[in-house]
Formats: sequence, structure tokens, C-alpha cells
Amino acid sequence: MSEKCKAKLINFVKKSVFADFIRGLYITFSYNFEGAMTLKYPDSEKWIPYRRFRGLHTLNKNSEGKELCVACELCSRACPTDCITVIPEENDAGRGIADRVAKVWEVDLTRCMFCGYCEDACPTTAVRLGREYELACTTLERGTRSRDELLLPQPVPEALTGGVVAKARFIRSADGIKVVAELGKVRQRKL
Amino acid sequence: MPELGLIIEVVLIFIKVYIVGMILFMLPLPLTWLERKVAGRIQVRLGPHRVGPKGLLQPFADMVKLLLKEDIIPDKADRFLFKLAPLLAMIPAFAVFVAIPVGDTFTIPGIDYVFKLYISDMNVGVLYVLAIGGLGIYGIIFGGWASNSKYSLLGGLRSAAQMISYEVALSFAAIGVVMMSNSLSLVEIVKSQGGGFWNWNLFYLPVGPVWFLIFFIASLAEINRIPFDLPEDEGTLGSGFHTEYSGMRFSFFMLAEYIAMVTISVLAVVFFFGGWMPPIDPATFGIKVPAQIMSVWGIGWFIAKVVVFIYIFMWIRFTLPRYRYDQLMTIGWKILIPVSLITVLVTGLMRIFLT
Ligand code: SF4
Ligand code: SF4
Repeated sequence: MSEKCKAKLINFVKKSVFADFIRGLYITFSYNFEGAMTLKYPDSEKWIPYRRFRGLHTLNKNSEGKELCVACELCSRACPTDCITVIPEENDAGRGIADRVAKVWEVDLTRCMFCGYCEDACPTTAVRLGREYELACTTLERGTRSRDELLLPQPVPEALTGGVVAKARFIRSADGIKVVAELGKVRQRKL
Repeated sequence: MPELGLIIEVVLIFIKVYIVGMILFMLPLPLTWLERKVAGRIQVRLGPHRVGPKGLLQPFADMVKLLLKEDIIPDKADRFLFKLAPLLAMIPAFAVFVAIPVGDTFTIPGIDYVFKLYISDMNVGVLYVLAIGGLGIYGIIFGGWASNSKYSLLGGLRSAAQMISYEVALSFAAIGVVMMSNSLSLVEIVKSQGGGFWNWNLFYLPVGPVWFLIFFIASLAEINRIPFDLPEDEGTLGSGFHTEYSGMRFSFFMLAEYIAMVTISVLAVVFFFGGWMPPIDPATFGIKVPAQIMSVWGIGWFIAKVVVFIYIFMWIRFTLPRYRYDQLMTIGWKILIPVSLITVLVTGLMRIFLT
């Protein structure tokens, strides 16, 4: 029997016993036991992203608690959407690592596209994109975040690698909706 | 003055009809939930889980939504037919259940009254089910026509063509069952399969499995489910014949569709899987079990088998893509009908020479 004939015959037998069909059914049935990819966000779970995640900006301090930002304005120059405002001032009281510190450091999140150019441009690694991603707000003022807030410690500490699903609580406040993660209770996500 | 027995009989029939009707009305609630859960499971997601525990109350939320929705009738629609169509789709789906037996008889102990576990044992049950079931297509065609929308009309036309093509194969499968079981009455068909799973029509070798496949494929097409759901092909037709329907009228169509699925599952169980007969009958081993227990046990088996079938229908829905229209016709006319003709011949010869 020629090769072609053989292939045709095999094909016919396969079709008449519904081989491919049964394989498809087997695959979909096996998905039943895999559990769901879906997170119960925002009800009771929250995704903790990896460190590489580019979320809300953070302004950092060094180990002595001094602000790293020297108000050089490089970030605002580098920003493609022009959404960082830096106004420098002189300060000898040791607030920052140099005597030039930022009087105003503001980012307009409604324009920011989280490209990360600002953190690339920063000579002192003062500005970093953090892991906060619940940025929806009900007033336009909340769309602008300024220095005081960005200097606060991060809800997800730097030490945590991320990439896990944490138990979370759903909180409604005047500021909008927040899902607060309990970092102690985490599980790996099925991939 | 009619006798007391007759009056009781009539009253009982009314009660049975009422119970069956109520069950059928309520069935889509768990079925939509189940379908969405099955879909979620198969697609590696959760399905409804926010309304009630495990999302069990989701169908009620859906029902409230459908009830509250505005009932829109398109401006240029044929108002009479437009209103008639959902009813025409729904009523036959209910009417089919008159002939469907869930069990044989139940002798009430003490008063020795024989309670029949079916509404009516017609001697042409198979014909009745097929004929009434086929009427549902009018609802779809009318709905498609009356909406005055090209998508609805195309959906209606498609389903008309599909129904005609597959009704033939389905009827052949029914003929096969009638030949194997030697009766047109659904109760008799089940009784002929008693005694253990090797007596089921499915295992009437070699033709049983072939008949089952023909029946299964044709019925998938009959009830417009994937992979044969061309009448409501979202990709090309909006949603087919019910594109223009909303609110309660739309839910009537959905109701009809779900009940059709249940009907076909029930028919598959009655025709091929021995209805209420348990797979292994204690009587074959000489163990005596009271008849009452056996009939309740049988109803359990019947429901279990039907549920398995419903699951299979859903499972297939979320596994297969949709056929193209010409493929659909090819399968119907060039494969199913010739195969069923040959199988009729083989079954006939087997009946003549083997019995
Ligand atoms: S992330 Fe990009 S767009 Fe946003 S502030 Fe930094 S540089 Fe500008
Ligand atoms: S954040 Fe960095 S780049 Fe921006 S002003 Fe401060 S030191 Fe300069």
C-alpha cells in the first residue's frame, strides 16, 4: 500500500472513531481539576506584583533617613509627558543628602504613562516606580501626588519579591476604594 | 355520576401535570448556574461566585434582571407573530414531557394503590415526542421572520434548514430504537432494556453504539447547541433569531432551549441507557428487593443519568468550535443519513435472523 493510501486510511479510521474529538474533550475535562486562574479581586484577594512592576512613584531616603532627591530636575526633563514638577530650595538642616532639596515634587498621574524614564534619569535613585496600582480616584486633586505622600514607606516592603496572591480586605473610603492586602497570608498563583 | 376511581385518576393527572410543569419552569435556574460554572471550570476561571454561596443565587439575580427589563418590540415588527413566537417555542418543549416516563409504577403500601410515574403511556410515544419536539422550530422561524431584522431572519432560515436535515437522521435513530426494543411506547422501550446494563440498547452490538452516535449528533443539531448552533452564531448573526428580543420574551426562548436540552438528555437515557433501570439489577442475582424501593432507586438512577447527559452537552459546548454551514449540511446529508440507512438494514437483518 502506498504511503498516501495509508495516511488516508489512518485519517479515515481516526475520524470514524472521533479520535480528535475525544482528545479535545479530554483536554477540556482535565481543566476541571486545575483550579481557577481567576483571583477574587477585589473581594478577598489581591495580586502582589514583582519588584519590576511600574506603579505609583515613590521617593526614597537613604539609610540615615535623609531624602535622596537633590532636586536636579532631571526627572522632569526626561519625562515624555511632562508631568513631573520639581521646585528646588536650599536647606542646610540635613533634610536631604545635599543642601539642595525639593520644595515641591509633584507628579500628575492623569498624564503619567508609567514609562519609568524618570527613574532612569534620576542620578541618586531617589525616584522609583513602586508597586501601588489602585490609582482610581473620584476627584481630580487625587490625580496629583506630591512629595509628602510619596516619601511615606511603601505598603509592600522592598524585601518582598512579590508575584504572589495575598488575602485582602476591601475598604471603601472617601478617598475611593482600597483593597488592603494582608502580606502574611499569601499563596502562589497557578500559571 | 362517574366513579370515584376515575375522578381520582383525573385529579392525579392534573397534579402530575402541575408538578412536571413547575419542575420544568424551575429547571433553567439550576441549569444556567451549572452551565456557567461548567464553562468557568473548563476555561480555568471561577464562574459566578459573588451572589450567594458559590454563586448559587446568580440565576435569581438574572431572573430579576430579565423581569425588570423593558420589553422592546421593534417598530416594523409583525407584532402578532413577534409575541406569538416565544410561546410557540416554549409550549412544545413543555408538551413533550407528557409522554416521558421517569419510572414505572409505584405501589403505595397499605392501600395498594398503583401510582404511575408517568403522565401518559402513549402507545406511539416516540412519534409524539418527535412530532411535538419538532414543532418548536415554528417559534424560531416566526421569531426570525417577525423581528424584521436581517440577522434574525437568517438565523430563522438557518435553523429551519438545519432542523429539516437533522430531523431525518433523528427519526432514523428513533426507528432504530423502535426496532431494537420492538415498541413505540417509551415505557415499553425502557422495560425492554431491563435486567442489567448489558441489555441496554447502547450495548445492542454492533448497531447500538452507531444508533446512539447518530442520535446524539442529530439531537445536538436539533436543539441548536454547539457545534451546530448556527442559528445563533454570534460571529455572523448578532445572536440569530432572538436578536431583537428582550426581557421576558427572550427568557422564554432561553427556557425553551434549556428544556429542549433536558428533553434530549431524557430521550437519550430512555432510548439507549435503560431509562430508570439500574445498571445492575439485584433480581438477576436472586436478591429480592421490595418493589417500592426499586422504583425510588430507579428514579434516582434516571435523574443521575440525565444529569450526566446534561453535563456532557455543556462539556461539548465549551470544547468544540462551531461548524461551517456547508459542513453542517455535509454531515447531515452525506454522512448521517447514509450511515443510518445502512444501520437500519443491519438492525432489520439482526432482528430477523437473531431472534
Ligand atoms: S513614569 Fe514616565 S511619564 Fe510617568 S512621570 Fe516618570 S517619566 Fe513621566
Ligand atoms: S527625583 Fe531624582 S531626578 Fe528627580 S529631581 Fe530628585 S534627584 Fe533629580
